[in-house]
Amino acid sequence: MTAAVSVANLVKRYGTVLAVDDVSFEVNAGEIFGILGPNGAGKTTTLEIIEGLRRPDAGRVMVDGVDAVAAPRQARARIGVQLQEAGFFERLTPDETLRLFSTYHSRALPSGPLLQRLGLDEKRNAHVQTLSGGQRQRLSIALALLNDPRIVFLDEPTTGLDPQARRLLWDVIEGIRVEGRTVILTTHYMEEAQRLCDRVAIMDHGRIVAQDTPRALIRAHAQQTTVVLNLEDGRLDEADLPGVQRVVAADGDMIMHTIDPQATLHGLLDLSRTGRIRYRSLRVEEPSLEDVFLHLTGRRLRE
Amino acid sequence: MCFCILPVGGCASEATGVRGDAGMKALWSTAIMGFRMYFRDRSSVFWGMMFPILLMALIGVAFGRVESMTMTLGMVTGGTGPLAAGIRTSLGRVPAFRIVDERNLDDALRELRAGRRVLVVVLPEGGGPLDAYVDTSRPQESQTALLVLERFVAEANLRLTGTRPAVEVRAHNVSSRPTRFIDFLLPGILALTLAQNGLMGVSWTVTSYRERLVLKRVIATPLNPSFFLSGLLVRYAAVSLAQLAVISLVGVGIFGARLAGNPLLLAGLAVLGSLVFTSMGIAISTAARTPESANVMASVANFPMMFLAGTFWPRDLMPEAIRPVVAYLPLSPLVDAMRAVGARAEPLGPYLPGLAYLAAWGIAALVIATRRFRWE
Repeated sequence: MTAAVSVANLVKRYGTVLAVDDVSFEVNAGEIFGILGPNGAGKTTTLEIIEGLRRPDAGRVMVDGVDAVAAPRQARARIGVQLQEAGFFERLTPDETLRLFSTYHSRALPSGPLLQRLGLDEKRNAHVQTLSGGQRQRLSIALALLNDPRIVFLDEPTTGLDPQARRLLWDVIEGIRVEGRTVILTTHYMEEAQRLCDRVAIMDHGRIVAQDTPRALIRAHAQQTTVVLNLEDGRLDEADLPGVQRVVAADGDMIMHTIDPQATLHGLLDLSRTGRIRYRSLRVEEPSLEDVFLHLTGRRLRE
Repeated sequence: MCFCILPVGGCASEATGVRGDAGMKALWSTAIMGFRMYFRDRSSVFWGMMFPILLMALIGVAFGRVESMTMTLGMVTGGTGPLAAGIRTSLGRVPAFRIVDERNLDDALRELRAGRRVLVVVLPEGGGPLDAYVDTSRPQESQTALLVLERFVAEANLRLTGTRPAVEVRAHNVSSRPTRFIDFLLPGILALTLAQNGLMGVSWTVTSYRERLVLKRVIATPLNPSFFLSGLLVRYAAVSLAQLAVISLVGVGIFGARLAGNPLLLAGLAVLGSLVFTSMGIAISTAARTPESANVMASVANFPMMFLAGTFWPRDLMPEAIRPVVAYLPLSPLVDAMRAVGARAEPLGPYLPGLAYLAAWGIAALVIATRRFRWE
């Protein structure tokens, strides 16, 4: 598979701060690639270097075969960019906004179908200043798709949205991939990365600490499955069950971290059969990218 | 990163993206959409037109009287002799004087001190001298009034003695029509509006576009940024023309001003002024971090020009010491040219060096605007 984007040894310094510290990765054509990390990890800076909006201090960036450092505008002609928190001309309508920006590209999709696809049809003639946060974000994505790009960059597309608006956007983003476009997105929501991304690079303090498919990352860095038990009767500690490394009691729940979920569950069922414990509910939680991040950095991703 | 503002040539370092005809399309759509945006902001439209109109009304009311040059003369009649009556009648024929008969000297002097009279004259009982009272706290008016009076007396003496004056002055009016104050004021207000729009309006708008990351959206496209900036220049020229048309209509229709010159020539001057001051506004925006600071910086440039560039009153009335300085304000040549064309229908020829000077300001501003333009 050819790489849609390849980044090698990227470095960006702001004064004494290393915002991007020797970052390398490749994005395959047709995949959704996520850069996951907390605020200030260097995600946006990395993205904006690839988009040709910032110059790196060192490193190489190829976008669809174009050197984005040497020819940023040429690179921008091949990509669609959704910028984090970028504003609009508030007194234009979504339709006018798309028509205006379409003259800034050498080719453009018609505004009508694009608005329809992003669910902005009924707002097409309302001034942008009357749009909700989710609608603005969708207009922003419409702008990113306007030039029918092969590669789409989405910088924190769902930040600040309510859960419903976020789900709606996830569908939109998956739709972009279905059309055969490559998507590169940044997020600090692990749930989002897990749901959308084929591959994820985890970034912290300007460095990529791990990159792979979500599943492989979890397998490699978060072996502990969580078993949550709500006990009606009896009590438990680490010694009672095989595989369990730690038990935490919280709000009447026993939260057990196990490296061998199968053995732990067998043990639990045995205890329950012999009547030593009785439980109201039992829940098994897969490890998530959150656990991967915790394992790799010792800190939590914060929303 | 280097961005060029002028579409001509563009950034030579890169040979792709949107340019040429497509760039012109971008330029026009930027201008047209900007024009729409401006007219959707009703309060800006309203105040953008009301402010100059109010200014014109206020200045016109406050200083409009000066133009007529009639001075109110209080007359105290000491006696009823034929000489007194003769002087009374002849003085009444002097066009510069409006005569008010006073009951007595005390009343007359009170009026004089209150500023309601410029001159008080006491007609002599018999022959005797003519007593005249002035208030030197208003030197210009009282001196003028005294001069007129002295000349009147000198002529009267000549006439009485039957002598022909050796030398006479014949005054010729070269103005085809007397320029009234409002005729003088309107072109000044138009020029001022151009400076105001460019310096205050543009610097605010561009800085707030940058602060809200709208400019970043533009630079994230492959467009050659010069087309976008040129689009802004065209947009503001169009907005200013529309605004000036309304102000002129109000000035002519309601205030009775006369625009004598060729309206197309006036519009051409307005476009030049708009381009220069819009460039200056963009240059200011490159130095400002926030719209608020842009506003303060623009005010510093705008306010001295508003009062000193001869917009409201002739620069000749200003103290000698600052006259050479105020002539070099960029607004001064624009005011002069617009007034020459607007109020007096003069040919533009003598004003071309001044306009070239103005254009030089524009080019300097454009260089700064282009070199230092920041997109975020």
